[in-house]
Amino acid sequence: MKWFKSNNWSLALLPAFLFTFCLVVYGLFMAAQESVTTLNGFSLDAYKNIFDNEAFLESLTYSLRIAFVSTVLSLVLGLLLTKFLFETLNNHLARTVVWLPMLFPHFVWGYMMILLFSQTGWFSTMLHAMSIIDSPDQFPVLTNDRYGIGIILTYTLKEIPFVVLMLLPVYAQLNRDLPNVVMTLGGNKWHVFKTVEWPWLFPVLMEAGLIVFAFILAAFEVPYLLGTTYPKMVSVLAYEWFYQGDWSKRPESFAVMMTVTAIIFGLLIILLSLVSRSRYRMMKGNGM
Amino acid sequence: MYIFFAFVLFFPVLLLLVKSVSYGWRWGEIIPTSFSARGFDVLLNDSRFYSAIGMSFLIGNMVILLNLLIAVPAARALAFHTFRGKSLVEVVLLLPILIPSLAVAMGIHITMIRLGLADQWLGVVLVHLIPTVPYSIKILRSGFERLGQKWEEQASSLGGTKMAILYRIYLPQLLPSFRSMVFLIFVISLSQYALTSIIGGGNVLTLAMLYFPFLSSVDEAVIASFSIVFALLPICVMIGFELVFRLVIPYQKRVFLD
Repeated sequence: MKWFKSNNWSLALLPAFLFTFCLVVYGLFMAAQESVTTLNGFSLDAYKNIFDNEAFLESLTYSLRIAFVSTVLSLVLGLLLTKFLFETLNNHLARTVVWLPMLFPHFVWGYMMILLFSQTGWFSTMLHAMSIIDSPDQFPVLTNDRYGIGIILTYTLKEIPFVVLMLLPVYAQLNRDLPNVVMTLGGNKWHVFKTVEWPWLFPVLMEAGLIVFAFILAAFEVPYLLGTTYPKMVSVLAYEWFYQGDWSKRPESFAVMMTVTAIIFGLLIILLSLVSRSRYRMMKGNGM
Repeated sequence: MYIFFAFVLFFPVLLLLVKSVSYGWRWGEIIPTSFSARGFDVLLNDSRFYSAIGMSFLIGNMVILLNLLIAVPAARALAFHTFRGKSLVEVVLLLPILIPSLAVAMGIHITMIRLGLADQWLGVVLVHLIPTVPYSIKILRSGFERLGQKWEEQASSLGGTKMAILYRIYLPQLLPSFRSMVFLIFVISLSQYALTSIIGGGNVLTLAMLYFPFLSSVDEAVIASFSIVFALLPICVMIGFELVFRLVIPYQKRVFLD
């Protein structure tokens, strides 16, 4: 515990920085390097190839759509849940309930979705018992389907608790008097939400949204389990190309992952500029 | 409404439990007609199952310990100090969960081979740090922030040493944060298939590595039983850490998970 004794607190950040740069940034740098290295030296062929490749383009739009829909759903539902159940969530039993879904890895949730929503799953059986359908193939294809519905369901369920846990501290720290100020000035509940809660919620929602989006966009395990053979989500595609026997597709595999990383970085920059602008407004609003 | 959400969350788990002890549960039967413990039997007679549990425990616990070493100092510094470029530091420390971990793992694969860490559990521990450290820093930081700096100032003005402050103030007061952290980190480590498979190269057999091939088998009772084991492991780890906490940490608040 040398860090505690040191008076120079900036040393305390050293292990975290060493980890981030020596492992993560270094790994990304190596991946970037391998994506532009071929037998003949430097070349951008891998990128040209993947952007000419229909399978990759379809897989990218498929992944973006799944990540976007799941992120929006889990943010909206997580926000509603936190807002309306905040008082209940304050007691410890209820909070343990929020934690419980996290007990299972996301691919186990994926398997549970298969048990529930597949054509021979429990809901299909239920509909049969209610004489709405006669055979399993009349039940809509909801898992391993073309639109990634199973993947979206799994991630939405799994990420709602994460969003709730991110938002709980915001609601816990909100000023309890400000809603009354809005009410006495003739505002309604919507005004309370917009002027009191939203400015604090916005940066946290953006951060949670970015984490969830990045996680789902580059996810491997659940799409591997619940996806279709075509289109595949980007990580599944990259993983397959990475392990293709003769290694000829490795530069392309790295190029796929670098493209995904670039998209996430782009979003990060957009969100940072949005959030810093809103922080500035908030400071002015407080008369500081 | 609360009951409704609890139901939505628990129904799939309930179905999993029933499935694990069902026998020949066919489509069209709302509840299974016969039961058996065969799913668990198959698992318990598989020797790979035990070594996978041992390996998952080893890796998960090492990941937790390394997380503590990295995250505690960083979280305290972020909670108590303001400095120029702090928001940049925050973004940098968030990068490991924003950058696709698959890209990082594929990128460091060659280096891991050169360092002799590929196909070794230690290498797997290192890559499991990638999706976990940012969460540890987040959880511990909000713990430190809630606590404030006054406790530490008061103790040191009364002549408390740094060790005493750590042991008598931070350990007991941050206990809820430590619990959340241990739980979350272990579950994340347990959930890694792609990272483990790339760096472990099939030699490091964790539960996730064993689970995926099982999924293509037709025996649903076995898969369901296996799925339940995933939830039992974090519970065991929580109980283990709780015993350690009880023994080591003074002045405990009896509060579970925060």
